[in-house]
Amino acid sequence: MQGSSGIGYGLKYQGRCISDVRADTDHTSFITGTLSLREENEVHLIRLSSSGTELICEGLFSHPNEIWDLASCPFDQRIFSTVFSTGESYGAAIWQIPELYGQLNSPQLERVASLDAHVGKINCVLWCPSGRHDKLISIDDENIFLWTLDCSKKAAQSKQSSGLLHYLSGGAWDPHDINAVATTCESSVQFWDLRTMKKTNTIERAHIRNANYDMKKNHILVTAEDESGIHIWDLRKPKSPVRELPGHTHWTWAVTCNPEYDGLILSAGTDSTVNLWMAPTSAEDEATSESIAESATQQADPLLNSYSDYEDSVYGLAWSNREPWIFASLSYDGRVVVESVKPFLSRK
Amino acid sequence: MVEREKTRNDDVPLDDKAKRMRDLLSSFYNPDHSSAPKPPSDYENLDAINSTSFDPDHYMNVLVQKSNLEGLLRRHVEMAAEIKNLDTDLQMLVYENYNKFISATDAIKWMKSNIVGMQANMEQLLDKIMSVQSRSDGVNTSLFEKREHIEKLHRTRNLLRKVQFIYDLPARLSKCIKSEAYADAVKFYTGAMPIFKAYGDSSFQDCKRASEEAIVIIVKNLQAKLFSDSESIQARAEAAVLLKQLDFPVDSLQAKLLEKLEQSLGDLQLKTVRIENILLESNDPSKQGKAFESIPSTGHEVSVHGFAEAIRAYRVIFPDSESQLIKLAQNLVIKHFEMIEQCVKSRISSANFLGALRTIWTDVLLMDEVLSEAALPDFSLEAGQVTVKKYVASTFTYLLQDISDALLKVKVSPNEAAEEHALKLALEASKKAVLQGSMDLLLDFRQLLDDDLGLLVKLREFIVDWVQEGFQDFFRALDDRFLLLSGRKNPSSQDQVLSEGALGEKVLVGIALVLAQLSVFIEQTATPRISEEIAASFSGGGARDYENGHAFASGEICQIFRSSAEKLLHHYINMRTQRVSTLLRKRFTTPNWVKHKEPREVHMFVDLFVQELRAVQSEVKQILPVGLMRKHHRSDSNGSTNSSRSNALLDDRMSRSNTQKGRSQLLETHLAKLFKQKVEIFTKVEYTQESVETTIVKLCLKSLQEFVRLKTFNRSGFQQIQLDVQFLRTISRENIEVEDAIDFYLTRYELRSFHVIVAASERCFDPVPLEPPILDKLVQVKLARSKEQSK
Repeated sequence: MQGSSGIGYGLKYQGRCISDVRADTDHTSFITGTLSLREENEVHLIRLSSSGTELICEGLFSHPNEIWDLASCPFDQRIFSTVFSTGESYGAAIWQIPELYGQLNSPQLERVASLDAHVGKINCVLWCPSGRHDKLISIDDENIFLWTLDCSKKAAQSKQSSGLLHYLSGGAWDPHDINAVATTCESSVQFWDLRTMKKTNTIERAHIRNANYDMKKNHILVTAEDESGIHIWDLRKPKSPVRELPGHTHWTWAVTCNPEYDGLILSAGTDSTVNLWMAPTSAEDEATSESIAESATQQADPLLNSYSDYEDSVYGLAWSNREPWIFASLSYDGRVVVESVKPFLSRK
Repeated sequence: MVEREKTRNDDVPLDDKAKRMRDLLSSFYNPDHSSAPKPPSDYENLDAINSTSFDPDHYMNVLVQKSNLEGLLRRHVEMAAEIKNLDTDLQMLVYENYNKFISATDAIKWMKSNIVGMQANMEQLLDKIMSVQSRSDGVNTSLFEKREHIEKLHRTRNLLRKVQFIYDLPARLSKCIKSEAYADAVKFYTGAMPIFKAYGDSSFQDCKRASEEAIVIIVKNLQAKLFSDSESIQARAEAAVLLKQLDFPVDSLQAKLLEKLEQSLGDLQLKTVRIENILLESNDPSKQGKAFESIPSTGHEVSVHGFAEAIRAYRVIFPDSESQLIKLAQNLVIKHFEMIEQCVKSRISSANFLGALRTIWTDVLLMDEVLSEAALPDFSLEAGQVTVKKYVASTFTYLLQDISDALLKVKVSPNEAAEEHALKLALEASKKAVLQGSMDLLLDFRQLLDDDLGLLVKLREFIVDWVQEGFQDFFRALDDRFLLLSGRKNPSSQDQVLSEGALGEKVLVGIALVLAQLSVFIEQTATPRISEEIAASFSGGGARDYENGHAFASGEICQIFRSSAEKLLHHYINMRTQRVSTLLRKRFTTPNWVKHKEPREVHMFVDLFVQELRAVQSEVKQILPVGLMRKHHRSDSNGSTNSSRSNALLDDRMSRSNTQKGRSQLLETHLAKLFKQKVEIFTKVEYTQESVETTIVKLCLKSLQEFVRLKTFNRSGFQQIQLDVQFLRTISRENIEVEDAIDFYLTRYELRSFHVIVAASERCFDPVPLEPPILDKLVQVKLARSKEQSK
C-alpha cells in the first residue's frame, strides 16, 4: 500500500482481537489470536523491534478454538485470557505462556484456569485495569462474573451477578474505580457496582458496539455505535453526550482512549479504516451545553488522521502502554499494522 | 575674623582683588558674625591654617617632619608672601572704613540745615482749614428747617393721592368690568391690595368690600373666558395670567384642562384602534394600502388636528406646563407604536405597515409644530426604530414558519396517491417558499427603503443593516430548524415520530432527504440570488461597524448550508441504513444458525429488506436529480467486467467446492481479496439518485456482511443466506429501469452480495452451496408469490 507508515505483520488466518502486553516493560509487544472456524488457531506474540521498524514474532502457540476475544494480564506478561468458540458453544480461559518457550520446538499454552460458569455466548474478559489486582470479569449475554485468580493454584473463583437477561454485548472496567464496570447491551450502557453486583446507572442509547473509559479523566466514557459514530459521555450527566464525533462511513466497531495523552481517541470501523481523533473534554466543555461543544467542534476538525491502509474491516485495536504513541490494529484479513501517531501529536 | 574671611575666599579659585575687598567689608558689617558657620570638617585638617582650631606648633612640627629643606624654604617664601598680602588687605580695609565714616558725617550735617523752615508753613495751613469748616456748618443749619418742611408736604400729597385712588377703586373696577378691561382691573386691584391689607378693617372697609365684590365678578368672568373654547387663545391665556395674578388657584384649573386634553387623547386612541381593526379585517390586498390613507383623512386626521390645537392652546395658556404636555405627546406616540407592534405580531403586509407608520409620522409632525420642545420626531424615531426592527424580525420569523409549514405539509396528506409525490411536492413547495418568500421579503423591505417618509429616511441605514443581519440570522435559524426537523438534533423527537405510525415515520425519514436537497438549493441558487438582490438595493448600510465587513455574508451562509446539506444527506442515509440494520439484527439474533434447517423458501426478512430499498428508491427518485450516467459508466467499466467474472468464478468455485473443499478455502479468501475494492465502497456521496441509492444499498449489504461474520452457520444456514442473497440479486436486476444504470448498479450490488456469501462461507462448518437448479426454483417461487401479492 502506498503512503503507508505502518509496520505490517500477517496472521495466517482471520483475526478479530489484539491486545497490548502491558506487563512487558522492556518491549513494546502485542498479543493477538486468529479466528478460523475450520483451521487450527494460533496465538501470536509480536514484539516491535528496538529500532521500531520491524514486527518480530516472539512466540507462536496453537490455541484449540477460534478466538473471539483476547486480553493480556496487566501484571504478568506471560498470562492472558481468551474467549473462544467451537462454533456451537463458547468458553473462556486464562492461559500461561510456558517458560523457555523460545527453546521448545512446539510450545503448548498452559491453561491456568477455565472460566466455565457461563451458559450463553461469552462476549469478553476484562482484567482489572489498576494492574496488580488478580481480579477479572467475564461477560456473557446475560451475566457478569467476577473472578479471583489464583495463579499458583491454577484456579479461579467466581462471583456471579444474579440473572440479568439484558443481552449484554461487551464492557469496560473503570480505571478510576475498581468497583465500577460499564457494560453495553442492546439499548443502553449499564453501570455496575462490583461489590453489590447491582446496577447503578444507565445511559439509554441503542446499538452501542464498544465502550472505553478515559484513562486520564474520571467520569468520561467513550462509546462507539453502529451507525451514529462516537459519543463522549460525562457519566455525571447521562442524558446527552458531551461530544459527538462522526465516526466511520460504516459501523464504528471499536474505540479506545490513549492511556497517556488526554483526548486522543482511536476508533476502528468496518469501512476498513482506523481514525485518530483529538477530542479533549475540558472542564468548560463539561460545564457548558452541547451546542457550545458543537461549535467548538466546528472550530477545529477533531479528526487528526484516517489510516486507510486496510483491506477489510478493522476489529482489533490497542494502544501500547509502554510507548503510548504507538498503536496496533488488526483487520479481519489477519493483518496487524502498528503505527505511530507521533507526527500528529506535534501538531497539537 | 579676617582669616576666616580669607578662608571663604580661598574657595574661589580666581582671587580677584575687588571682590575680596567687598567681601571683607560686608563681613565686617555683618552683625551676625558671631554666629558665623562653623568651619566644615575638612578644615580640621592640620594643614588648614585658616581654621580656628589651627595649632601652629603642631603644624610646624608636621611641616618640619614631612618636608625636606627645599620644601621648607619654599614654604617659608610662600608664607612670607601671604603674610605681606594680608597686611596690605588689612590696611586697605581700615582706610575704606574711615572714608565711609567721613561721608556719613557730611550727610547728617546737610540734613540738619534743610529742616529748619518747615514748622511755620505747616501752622499756616491748619488755620485755613479750620475757617472752611466753620463756614460750611453755618450754611447747613440755616437750610435744614426749609428742607424738612418740603419733605413733609410731599409725603402728604402722596398719601392723599393713594386715598383718592382707593376711594375710586370700586367705581373704576366696575367700569373695567363693563368694558371687559380685566387686565387694568386686576392691575388696579393688585395695586390697592397692600393698603387693603393694612387698613382694610378700619378706614376703607366699605371700599374694600365693594372692590372685592367687583373682583369676584372679574374672577368669574375670567374663569368663564378661560374655559370657553370659542374665545381666542390669546384671550384665554391672558385670562389665565390674570387669574394667577389674583392669587386664584390656577393649578386646579390647569389640572382640569389637562384632564380634558387627556380625555380627548383617549378618544383619539379609540378611534385609531378602530381604524387598525378595520385595516386588519380587510384582507383584500389591493384595498389594504388604500384603507390606511383614506380613513385617517376623514376621522383620524381631524381628531389629531384637534388635539394638536388643544395642545397649542394649553401651552399658550399655561406656558410652564411643557413637561406634562411632552409626556402626554410622547404617550400618544408610544401608544401608536404599541398598536403597530401589536399588528406586527399578527403578520402584516409592508404596505399596511408603511401606512401605519405614515399616519404616525403625520401625527408626529403635526404635534411637533405645536410642541417642538418635546422633540417628538427624535422620540418617535427611537420608538420607530424598535418597531421597524421588530417588524423586520417578525417578517423573518414568518418566513421561517412558512418554510417549515411547507415542509411539514407532507405529513398531513394521508392519502396514498399523494404520498407518491409528497416529498417532491414538499421540496417544490419549500423551494418556492424559500426563494419566493425571500424575494417578497426583500420587495417589502424595498418599499420601506424607497418610501420618502421622514421617519424611514432617517432609519434607512438601520433598516439596511437589519435586513442584512436579519437574513444572516434567518438562514442560521433555518439551518437549525432543518436539523431539528430532520430529527438529527433531538433524538427524543425521533422516538415520538416512531410511535406516530408507519406513514409519518416514512415521510419523516424522507424529509431529511428533502432538507438536504433544499439546503443544496439554498446554497447554490437562493443565497446567490438573495445576496445579489441585497447588493443591488440594500448596500451601504454600515450604520454600525462590522468587523467582518458586511452583515450578510453569503459565503458563510453557503458554507453553512453546504455542510448541513452534507450532514442531512448522511443523516438520511444513516437513518435508512439504521432501519435496515435493525431489521438485520432481528433476523440474525433470533434463529440458531448452527442448527438451521434446510432452506425451503426465501426468508421473510428479504421482503422487508426489499421494501426498505424500494422506499429509498421512491424517495430518492422524487427528490434527487438523475446523475450523469456516462461518468459512472466509465469509472465502473473495469469493475463491471470484474463483477461478471466474479459471478462466473463464484459459481465455478461453488460447484467445485464440493469436491475440493480444502483448496477452495484458500481460493475463496484470495478471491475475496481480489475483488475487495474498498475505495469503491465508501466514496463521497453525490446528490444524485444513483449515488445515494447505491450508497445505501452498499451500506446495507455491508451491514449484512458484518452480521453474517458474527455468526457461525451449518450447511443449511449457509444455504439459507445464499438463497436470500440470490433472491435479492434477482430482484435488484429486475428493479433497474434505466438501461444505462444496469452495469454500474449490478457492479455494486453483485460485488457486495458476493462478499456476503463469502463471509457466510467463511463462517460455515460445511460451506456446500445449494445446487443452482434448486436455488433458481426457490427464487422463482418467491418471485411468483411476491408478484401475486402485489396484484
